[in-house]
Amino acid sequence: MATVGLEDVWKRYGKVEAVKGISMEILDGEFVALLGPSGCGKTSTMRMIAGLEEISAGDIRFDGKSVIDRPPRARNVAMAFENYALYPTLSVYENLAFPARAAHWPNDRIDKRVREVASIAAIDKLLDRRTSELSSGQAQMVGLARALVREPTVFLLDEPISHVDARLRIDMRTYIKRLQVELGYTMVLVTHDQEDAMALADRIAVMADGRLRQLGTPAEVYDHPEDTFVANFIGSPPINLFDCEIAQAGGKTVLRRDSLTFDMPDQFLPLVAAGTLPGNVTVGVRPFHLTAGAGAGHGAIAARVVVVEPLGDMEIVTAEAGNLPIQVVIPPGNRPKRDETMQLALEPEYVLLFDRESKQAIHAPSGGSATARAAAALV
Amino acid sequence: MLELDSVVKLFGTTVAISGVELSVRDHEYLVILGPAGAGKSTTLRLIAGLTKPTRGDIRVDGRSLLSVAPEHRDVSMVFENYALYPQRTVFGNLSFPLEARRVSRPEIKRRVESMASSLLIDSLLDRRPGALSGGQRQRVALGRGLIRDATVYLLDEPLSHLDARIRQDVRVQLKAMSVDLQSMVIHVTQDYREAMSLADRIAVLNQGRIQQVGTPDEVYAEPVNEFVATFVGDPPMSLLDATFVHENGRPVLKVAGTNISLPADELVGLVANGPTPPVLRVAARPTDVPVSATETKECCIPAQVYVSESHGYRNIVTIKLGDATIRVAAPPKQIWRVNDPIWLGLGMYNLHAFANGKAIYHPSVSAAGETIRPQRSFTAASTTGN
Repeated sequence: MATVGLEDVWKRYGKVEAVKGISMEILDGEFVALLGPSGCGKTSTMRMIAGLEEISAGDIRFDGKSVIDRPPRARNVAMAFENYALYPTLSVYENLAFPARAAHWPNDRIDKRVREVASIAAIDKLLDRRTSELSSGQAQMVGLARALVREPTVFLLDEPISHVDARLRIDMRTYIKRLQVELGYTMVLVTHDQEDAMALADRIAVMADGRLRQLGTPAEVYDHPEDTFVANFIGSPPINLFDCEIAQAGGKTVLRRDSLTFDMPDQFLPLVAAGTLPGNVTVGVRPFHLTAGAGAGHGAIAARVVVVEPLGDMEIVTAEAGNLPIQVVIPPGNRPKRDETMQLALEPEYVLLFDRESKQAIHAPSGGSATARAAAALV
Repeated sequence: MLELDSVVKLFGTTVAISGVELSVRDHEYLVILGPAGAGKSTTLRLIAGLTKPTRGDIRVDGRSLLSVAPEHRDVSMVFENYALYPQRTVFGNLSFPLEARRVSRPEIKRRVESMASSLLIDSLLDRRPGALSGGQRQRVALGRGLIRDATVYLLDEPLSHLDARIRQDVRVQLKAMSVDLQSMVIHVTQDYREAMSLADRIAVLNQGRIQQVGTPDEVYAEPVNEFVATFVGDPPMSLLDATFVHENGRPVLKVAGTNISLPADELVGLVANGPTPPVLRVAARPTDVPVSATETKECCIPAQVYVSESHGYRNIVTIKLGDATIRVAAPPKQIWRVNDPIWLGLGMYNLHAFANGKAIYHPSVSAAGETIRPQRSFTAASTTGN
């Protein structure tokens, strides 16, 4: 187990720049997800950590020592892929023992380790089975467990569950997370799926166009995205993002979009007073952070209901306020009808503002945000 | 009205469809929901006439379709593998069904552009299918299927290859469009959210048999058996083995592998007595289980956190309850760590009960659709019947 440091790491394929100067420090025993759409550089980054790709510039360090001159074997990195390629004629036990036998471990050490890993991965009852008799979920767990037997310095997971069916995926997430916590390994997960990243990682590195956009806990990237890309990539249903200008109305500073006017949330008032807000902003508000119906009260806007999707535990309403499409999640019950007018109010403490030019988040002075207050209440 | 009457389909000795009874109303959006291999696509192909039933009948407005050739059934089908014309552009693929029906050129242009805009492919009209991603091709296939008038639209997993984000957008567009379609739509999917979102009614299919037909609310709140209960919902309900006994003269439910006994007056008369007692299981929707970091009146069952996952708007916490495991959805603010103590609330106010796999009891649902959560602890004597 080790820390993994990336310092201004670049990867060029000919003229194509796949990774453009990534720096991050992964802590010992931490679970970090590299998250982004295809072509964002996440897989290249992982392959450079593993030593499967040379780096074009920069440095990669395990426990502070540069590893870029070491071949993959000498880095003691374990990798688990979606395609686990088990040995079908061997038992689960022998599959798990295989890497340890190849490393000439004594039998009693192998036995102890195999049983330990199998128990944590909840496959201890399957040790005598042949892998050809396993369900796909069980085979997946055996594949993961096998990669863990050797006590790697760093454990890399390349989209391990992206194509597993929905049911199984929920269980796989639980097992993988528990494995990581119990073993205390430094793990790096590569995925394009924001839900997998959120569910599993201690911190998420959101990547786009070869650059690191944000590195933060799931709560940080969800509640305080650094730019509109991160805001839009994280969360389902997606965040509402719409352009507004800062205007004056009735002696107050407000957010205005055509005929719609929203009160400036309190946490941004110090910036208004200091005159540091740009004139044009993009407002971000998650569908969970709008109040609908009678509770909307002061500052509500009227929106016409276009589509209501009842999902059992929640309902997603797609509505239009003027020409602004807006999605809101409401609890089940009191289902609005199509073409009905509903009152919607932004929950001010959750409203995010972005500079429309730079697309970067405008930070409210500290202590003003809902999460900061909630965190303070927990301490 | 479209009716499937005792339809059986065998492939050799394999039973694909096993006596399906289903009627689809005019203008209805019916979603067939089930896992891979349930017989969903076979059902669509039978309706389209691409394959014939081994037994049974398929009727539209009382007239059998069996002797009607596929091209005369006035059915428009969207295939999961797209089946686009590779030599035609996206525009050409979308316009094809209209050209074949001699629609005027300006009308074709108007309808193609409107459909392309709804499905977010309006920038791709000049491309050929070979230059499109899987998700883009799937949207072209969906548009081509919906662009012409038909008595029945058959959609075979029409959103399965779309990225999560686009899938949601197209789902909303499809729902908005479906209101204007004056025809019936039969849509097949493995995704319960897609089914809930779009359907007037859902037919849950498993192993060639219809498990339940009902509105999304019915299927979600009152699943008829363990299969439906666990197939619908994310995360799924966790089934707990249980026994129903009398303790000190009171009816109680004992949860296997734990020392929990819950008052269960509601189950009196519902669990059959006899020499072979039924296999009893109970389960709660993860969103119906209250949790707390300390013991409260409502949350009085002690347990341990196994794993907690962040999902932004909520945390999914997997909990060890003795030897049993249960998943709950908890508010996002509280952070749970492995092996933290956690207190939860379970009782007949949030548990569904199943005997030999079949539902015998559902918690009461108020008119507002929310599970009633009475202000009482599970040891209290009062009850809230169904």
